[in-house]
Amino acid sequence: MWIPIQIDEKSAEPLYHQIETQLRSLIISGNLAEGTLLPSIREFAGDLKCSVITVRRVYQDLEGEGLLRTRQGTGTFVSHVGDGAREEYRRETVRKALEAAVDAGLSVHFGREELEELFREIVKHKYGEEDKKEE
Amino acid sequence: MVQLAVEMRNVIKKRRSKTIGPINLELPEGHIIALVGQNGSGKSTLLSMLLKLSLPEEGTISWFGNSAEGELPMEIRRSIGYVPESPIQEESHWTPEEAACFRRRWYPDWDQAYFQALLDQFEVPRGIRLGKISKGERRKFEIAAVLAAGPKLLLLDEPSSGLDPFAWRIMIETFQRYMDERQATIIISTHIVEEVRRLADYIVLLHKGELLGMAEKDSLLGMWNEVWVGAKDEEELAELAAELPEALELSIQAPGMARMITSRLPDLEKRLSDLGVKMIKNRILDLEEILSLWTMGHRPELADSKRGD
Repeated sequence: MWIPIQIDEKSAEPLYHQIETQLRSLIISGNLAEGTLLPSIREFAGDLKCSVITVRRVYQDLEGEGLLRTRQGTGTFVSHVGDGAREEYRRETVRKALEAAVDAGLSVHFGREELEELFREIVKHKYGEEDKKEE
Repeated sequence: MVQLAVEMRNVIKKRRSKTIGPINLELPEGHIIALVGQNGSGKSTLLSMLLKLSLPEEGTISWFGNSAEGELPMEIRRSIGYVPESPIQEESHWTPEEAACFRRRWYPDWDQAYFQALLDQFEVPRGIRLGKISKGERRKFEIAAVLAAGPKLLLLDEPSSGLDPFAWRIMIETFQRYMDERQATIIISTHIVEEVRRLADYIVLLHKGELLGMAEKDSLLGMWNEVWVGAKDEEELAELAAELPEALELSIQAPGMARMITSRLPDLEKRLSDLGVKMIKNRILDLEEILSLWTMGHRPELADSKRGD
């Protein structure tokens, strides 16, 4: 099975972190369904051109988080993701994007009120358009 | 704890013109270890010592926890597959099938169906003497015959020399699948960076007979960055150099631009931004450049095979 993970060889982010972050979001977002059998460590390492040491570390970490489970002799499977975890993931994704936006504001010395006003304007614009679509 | 496929302790081999070693290595089972280094750095000698084809003057070697006095015991020899740099001349007057027939007598686990399937995949011509087929085809036969014996330890001395890109891909995939199914160990000497990238878990670097160490491939890749920053002239560069302990090999590349390398990019970035110096561009050094820095003494973090797992 091929897992859509894109490695950026030029990125300063460690390989193992890139793989772990992307695999985690594929699982929590539900793109990889519960019960899916993941590739063997060697196979996955071959696909990603990384070492088995890295893939093993990723599998172990995600097993520790309860997102994967390994059955001896059969392989590594996607585990059940609770609604709580999924909800938290949605929240975290949005929070990170908002934080990045606020940082961008800070870096050009945007005032707090100026920022809040702009935020409301964007929300009105985007959500407003969606309301129109639904009509 | 990790089981070791091979352990070398203070192994020294004296050649007429140079000495190889002392080599201290612990190669963990279930992994692919790439042996890299320039011509004459001692890669082939290291592999032949693992077969007792050449005997070290000093030190000890053990295979799967067993050391061997005198000849390598049949039990151990059978579990090792070897693809030498140049093929065995004694087999040249045989066809692939005849050579296989001879070899299988020594290997109780010989898998004839697997051997045939590999010959098909590699498109090795049948019924023609091995001495008459091309160098690449001969290589493919060697690989197929070695894998058919079902080795636990594979020693490959530049296995891809002579292979076309198509056969090379099949070879890579064959080794990966073999590793996946058998949990074997591969020690592969190679000059081809893409081979290291695709296959290796660990990299062992030899330089002029000296073992420089073993590192995890993934911790090695991405270790070094080349950075270009704005700098007016040599004078400004010298001032900058004094402020940047994490930068090496600083030089003016073009008017107004200096180049440097670093293994601590985040620290360097922070310091540049504190100094108000503009970073124009940065790129990650590739494996060849990293290995060359290593031979010049910029040692990476080395692997300790007993840790981890």
